[in-house]
Amino acid sequence: MSFVSRRRLAVGAVALAGVVALSTACGEDPSSATDRDLTIVLATPPVSLDPCDTQDAANAQILRSNVLESLTRIDPESGDVEPLLAESWEGSDDNRTWTFTLKQGVEFHDGEPFDADAVSTSIDRVINSDIGCGNGTEDFFPYDLTIDVVDDTTVKVTSAEPDGIFPLRMTYVDLASPATPVDEKTRQPVGTGPYTLSEVVDGESITIEPFVDYWGDAPDASSVKYVYRTEATVRASMIKTGEADLAVPISAADATDDDRTREYSDNRVFFLRTQTNKAPFDDARVREAVHYAIDRGTITEALMDHSGESYDQIVAPTVNAYIDGYEGPSFDPDHAKQLLDAAEEDGTDVSATVELVTRPDLFPGSDEVMQAITQNLQDVGFTIKLRSIDTDPWLQLLRKPYPAEQTPNIIAISHDNISGDASFTYPKYVSSNGANSTLQNDEIDALIAKAEMETGESRAATYQEASRLLYEEEFTLVPVALQTKLLMLGTGIEYEPNGLTGVELRIGDITFTD
Amino acid sequence: MWTFLRRRLVTSAITVVGVVVVVFFLARMTGSPASLYLPESATPEQIDEFNRRNGLDRPLLAQFWDFLSGAVRLDFGESIWKQRPALDVAMNAVPPTIALAGIALALALVIALVLGSVAALYRFRTVDRIISVVTLTISSIPDFWFALVGILLFAVQMGVLPTSGYATPSAWVLPTATVMLAPIGVLTQVVRGAMIDALGASYIQNARARGFSMARLVVRHALRNASLPIISVTGDRAAGMVNGSIIVGSVFAFPGFGVVIMGAVLNRDFAVIQASVFVVGIGVILVNLAADLLYALIDPRVRIGSGKAA
Repeated sequence: MSFVSRRRLAVGAVALAGVVALSTACGEDPSSATDRDLTIVLATPPVSLDPCDTQDAANAQILRSNVLESLTRIDPESGDVEPLLAESWEGSDDNRTWTFTLKQGVEFHDGEPFDADAVSTSIDRVINSDIGCGNGTEDFFPYDLTIDVVDDTTVKVTSAEPDGIFPLRMTYVDLASPATPVDEKTRQPVGTGPYTLSEVVDGESITIEPFVDYWGDAPDASSVKYVYRTEATVRASMIKTGEADLAVPISAADATDDDRTREYSDNRVFFLRTQTNKAPFDDARVREAVHYAIDRGTITEALMDHSGESYDQIVAPTVNAYIDGYEGPSFDPDHAKQLLDAAEEDGTDVSATVELVTRPDLFPGSDEVMQAITQNLQDVGFTIKLRSIDTDPWLQLLRKPYPAEQTPNIIAISHDNISGDASFTYPKYVSSNGANSTLQNDEIDALIAKAEMETGESRAATYQEASRLLYEEEFTLVPVALQTKLLMLGTGIEYEPNGLTGVELRIGDITFTD
Repeated sequence: MWTFLRRRLVTSAITVVGVVVVVFFLARMTGSPASLYLPESATPEQIDEFNRRNGLDRPLLAQFWDFLSGAVRLDFGESIWKQRPALDVAMNAVPPTIALAGIALALALVIALVLGSVAALYRFRTVDRIISVVTLTISSIPDFWFALVGILLFAVQMGVLPTSGYATPSAWVLPTATVMLAPIGVLTQVVRGAMIDALGASYIQNARARGFSMARLVVRHALRNASLPIISVTGDRAAGMVNGSIIVGSVFAFPGFGVVIMGAVLNRDFAVIQASVFVVGIGVILVNLAADLLYALIDPRVRIGSGKAA
């Protein structure tokens, strides 16, 4: 090819590109406030993209409030339950029947109407199907429900037991088009949100595009591409080079001092769980000793910079079981030793080998934190064997049953509760028959059961009574730190993270400042 | 030679089958992955349903029989993790892995040939020592550290390369450099040693005495004779690279085998683990075969006689 014809080819190509660009610009859909795209870099891609699996944060961060919406939502500032796709709702006097009036003018991305039938089908799919929906488990819906379609815009749900927080539970049900298959999970979630899922490149990226007929205000951003990088440093680097606009989470080592780095709490608490059915932990004094042995202050300051602060309850301050002004055991190794000595005198073998079980991905830097805790415990006389195992075996040790021949253990747990209500934590970790509970305390059980029937202030007060018994008599759960996370914003991007950011990254909250 | 190659193929094939079988049983010894795919409070019925749906409720030998009858048709089952045929998932990783390994190894070899030859020619002199120190240092650099420092330096500070990904040619620079680190040191030393041997042969001394240029002797004669050990080591390295680099994969989001197998193991996706082990095994066989053939091509003694084992 001669030089001249090659040049003509290049000019022709540029001209063509220009025409295409112009025509795309002119035919732009007014479905977002600007035509600017966003690139968001996250750590791990979701395993499931099904609307009923949004209890998995990797799934929720992309889909919730972007592609999918629910009847109600939690206001991240106040913690109140607010209307979203339900305009209003009413509970019967006994809190067993809840009637929701649906918003009108809402459409699913595939054109299916948003009406009571669709809502009923969707809720039913989450709660009653056998496909293993993460959002429909007993943790979220402990009581049997009957769903009735009253008319096109009214849905009535009747619970087998009184349930004061039913509207809160509805924040966990992301409503999917009635065309969603009921007997298997889907990889193409269809919701009512401002974006539709447009492209999934397996393991690499997920792209969402604006939905033209969205019922609400269009977010600023046009299309959004989520990409994945396992290394926190690489995520932060992508912001610095301009390859991404938002990186979440990043590690403290990559944090900058300017306003591009934002710290946020995701209502997550790091605590340890001891046992009550195995020596030496069957003696409450030994459990108590663990509390006094751990130097939370130094550990969080030195090893959890920007990721945790010393804490002495197992739920975040936004949860109703939190006791205002409560002060737990302080760091006092001498007192811990005294407790152990007393237990030993009564025949408990306090130096029996105990496994301290953790996961390498529990939270960034957890390895060093666990080593420090091991040291603390050994200093007061425990014999600790530190075990870092991956998720599957960790889950098996965490959950019942606890076979007698298992080595006694202390398990490291990082648990979040963004709902503001202790019923998402206490039944599982504190009730005697909780799946992850090592407690056996009838009084606490009675209080938890009582709280389930109550609402508002009295519900909170009852939960707090249970908390007090847990902290002052049982000592099974040992709080260490209230965790925080960091994210990084690119130039010209504004986003204020809140308690829900870890499980709901609302594109509508992201604006452009330039 | 053909008998020799045939024998090699058969032993290699048996090895691959053996590895796949061992991996099959080892992986399943970790129990059902139900707890990873189902929510924490899944009921026993849901767990049973999951196991039934994925064929995990049958006795181990029955599962093995299912697996074998599928494997001979190259059907390794469905990936629980990715919901696609497992062989697809494994095969997707092949092109990027081979491309990266191929380019890195080729570049490392070229550099090693040049530096190793120079070191051999000026052996024991300063140049030789410098080359040895530099290449051995490069080999000792931890690849994880190099990858991150590379990103911080070239992408963030200098802005001349992208941080990660593999879409553009410039995105391949850092991953390739990272993968090249380890082989450079070894290959340079092997080339150096082989060249010293080759250059010491009497016919080379003769030719030198008769005035032939050193450069011509090195390239046209010594290299050919030195190539046998070089091919051996390079083939060995290549076979190792077929596994893909987990570091490069996870730091640069490069979709090679390392990442696929790691992900499959962490997610207890037996089908993909098996398919990957199989594909990697075949890859290793092919690489070794290529090395053997190259050996035979270069060394007529291998072709004609029963030859030396590679």
